[in-house]
Amino acid sequence: MSELTHASAPRRSIGGQLLGSSQLVLGLILAALCIAISIAAPQFYSEANIIAILRQCALVLIVASGMTMLIITAEVDLSVGASLAFVGCIGMAVLNSTHSLALGMLAALAFSGGVGLFNGLVVTRLRVNSLIATIGTMMMLQGGVYLFTREAVQNHNRLVSFTDLGAGYVGAVPVPVILAALIFVIAYVTLRFTTLGRYLYAVGANEKAVRLSGLRSERLKLFAFVVTGLCVGVAGMILSSLMNAGQPTAGRGFELTVIAAVILGGTSLLGGRGSLFGTLLGVLVLKVIDNGIIILGWNQDLQMVVPGVVIILATYLDIIRNKANVR
Amino acid sequence: MSVDFLHPGEGAAIDRDVPALELRGIDKRFPGVVALDNVDFTLEGGKIHALMGENGAGKSTLIKIMAGVYGKDAGTIRMRGREVDIKSPRDSLKEGIKVVFQEIALISEFTVAENIFLEGYPTGKGGSIDWKKIRADSAALFNRIGFNVDPAARTGSLPVSQQQMVEIARALAHEARVVVMDEPTSSLTPNEVSLLFTVIRRLAALGIAVVYVSHKLDEVFEIADTVTVLRDGRHISTRPIGEHTNDTLIQDMIGRRIDNLFPRKRGAPGSKVALFVEKLSTAKKLNDVSFEARAGEVLGFFGLMGAGRTELAKAIVGYDPIASGTITVDGSRLVPHDTRTGVGLGIGLLTEDRKSEGLMGELPVYQNASLASLGAFARMGFVDKAREHRAVQDYVDRFRIKTPSLFQQVKNLSGGNQQKVLIARWLMRGLKVIVVDEPTRGIDVGAKSEIFALIDRLAGEGLAVVMMTSEMPELLGLADRIAVMCEGRLTAIMSRDEATQENILNAAIG
Repeated sequence: MSELTHASAPRRSIGGQLLGSSQLVLGLILAALCIAISIAAPQFYSEANIIAILRQCALVLIVASGMTMLIITAEVDLSVGASLAFVGCIGMAVLNSTHSLALGMLAALAFSGGVGLFNGLVVTRLRVNSLIATIGTMMMLQGGVYLFTREAVQNHNRLVSFTDLGAGYVGAVPVPVILAALIFVIAYVTLRFTTLGRYLYAVGANEKAVRLSGLRSERLKLFAFVVTGLCVGVAGMILSSLMNAGQPTAGRGFELTVIAAVILGGTSLLGGRGSLFGTLLGVLVLKVIDNGIIILGWNQDLQMVVPGVVIILATYLDIIRNKANVR
Repeated sequence: MSVDFLHPGEGAAIDRDVPALELRGIDKRFPGVVALDNVDFTLEGGKIHALMGENGAGKSTLIKIMAGVYGKDAGTIRMRGREVDIKSPRDSLKEGIKVVFQEIALISEFTVAENIFLEGYPTGKGGSIDWKKIRADSAALFNRIGFNVDPAARTGSLPVSQQQMVEIARALAHEARVVVMDEPTSSLTPNEVSLLFTVIRRLAALGIAVVYVSHKLDEVFEIADTVTVLRDGRHISTRPIGEHTNDTLIQDMIGRRIDNLFPRKRGAPGSKVALFVEKLSTAKKLNDVSFEARAGEVLGFFGLMGAGRTELAKAIVGYDPIASGTITVDGSRLVPHDTRTGVGLGIGLLTEDRKSEGLMGELPVYQNASLASLGAFARMGFVDKAREHRAVQDYVDRFRIKTPSLFQQVKNLSGGNQQKVLIARWLMRGLKVIVVDEPTRGIDVGAKSEIFALIDRLAGEGLAVVMMTSEMPELLGLADRIAVMCEGRLTAIMSRDEATQENILNAAIG
């Protein structure tokens, strides 16, 4: 039954996969977008605008780094948007009552990490499909945040360090961009060079094989859920710093942007395949489109429409490319 | 659809001189691969024609062209002398060709009768479907093939063997002149196989040309009138079965002779008990199973389908939970009962289901091979890739694993080479006991002897090999001792010298 697979020609190597045509296509799309926008609106290439784009990317990239790991293990977390809002409110409230950034941060991480742990346990122990489980968590969090606070939790502090978290700079580089870069690099190195990273791919590629090899597949998935949660904690605190308040309504649709960036970057929802570098490109493409629409003065509702089109197009291109490779 | 099928023979007179189906000069290319090269294939009505060849020989491509799944690139197809153009599965069925694929294509939520008449329900007044007639006609069809399936049963609830019968009844409903059975016995019990053979002979008696696709030699000798062998997309031979022996058929299939399928190089087993299983029971299947396996020994487990071999394999490596009993590996109890502990003690499973439990298809060969031993190549959690690649390359060379590179996705390797990669996975980890479940399932005849040689070598290197198999020759050719299971119980353990096919089968029946 396997005439084809038996004789088919060699396919791309892993080395080739990393900078494989998936990323190449995305890189070209990104370049084309940048060129086209800057021809239409030269201010696109101003330093201020580039920094603005990077800052926009930071929040998404932080969560997308965790999400890439999670999707590589063949699970997904749809609760990150709702968790983002909740975490901001909790962090802000703790900050207000303790006047300590460290404690606020700790509370945010504990909460978001806890959400990740909860998701992970529901998926690995109760064996509820992660799509369904995290939709459930999302609803619980969306409702729960209003039980916690009916309105935005205002910042009652004048903590410089907290304001810097979202609005500060180191040299010319915004603090959120530095945090995002740091988290990205850690995640990249983990996926690329460590045993843990290899096991994450393995669990996504074939969980039963991983179990038979004497590894604890559930723990690996649990780990990816918790890491995703922790990333949400960091992003949530940055967001509340930027808004100078914990907003229960923040983060609507955030999970879609994050997952879209990961998928756009070539990570397979089926697990076992994907790269963080692709995710980075995916985030950049989505945010450059956002920025372009604003700069060009287009209707802002297109900010949702265009990325939707891009995702379908990019995924379709990937399918075509795969077919060309197989045949 | 007419209702002629109830009365065979009428208007279906067969002209013996004109072939029921004639394929001439069929070419089929996929980019980079010639799947079929100028293949001829001629079928006579009333005859059973076996189509044989290794994986990749072109069998599937050929029957998919007959079924209209693939288009041909060149060549002609004639039905009873008339050239036909088959562009889709629908065309194929209309011309009277019915292919029963290994993966049965019935709608499992529908009833048997609904599936049989899927392409055209008989209608009554006002275009409403005549359910009574559907049921009655279905029953009549089953009557003709001499096998009864309840037309009102939900198809998905039936065993594969009965679903095959539904497909065959469907063929009759379409007045098929050609019925192709693709590896039909791969998941049947011996009893079901003999029932299937009766039905196939009945089809032939009705004047239908039957194509029997298989790579099981004994079955082909039992049922076929004629055998056509393909190899590497080319037609190698078409001969009456009487002109073939086991050896000539294998030679045609693989293009060379295999002198000794079971080379034995290892010495006598040691005396050290590597695995000790006592009073093992599971909730569903196993009942009070006790045995021991010694270092350097191949202990073969035989049993019919459903005897509990795979259940035993999965329980003793810690993969599936047990209800009671103890497992001792190399002197230590397997507690807690999980694979992590199992692998730590040195027991691992070479699964029967490579695709869903063994391979990480998308990932490269080297990552598949090093999965169980990755920790050994790591320092502070970072993988030393150079060392890892060298170690894997070493096994690729020693086992003669055919792969273009270590980076090839493992799904693109042949079954035999995939199996070698999985054996390498365990050897790189270093085991005391390896449990191999149906080690040659889905593997070509040529590659089988290599797998046998590897198993022999494993035992020779001092591992205890526990081998689950349903293939009698494999059992008798490899095992030092033979254990037989029946319905979850161990019914006999005998030495190789005491074992005969007869007493093994007797024990397997219980």
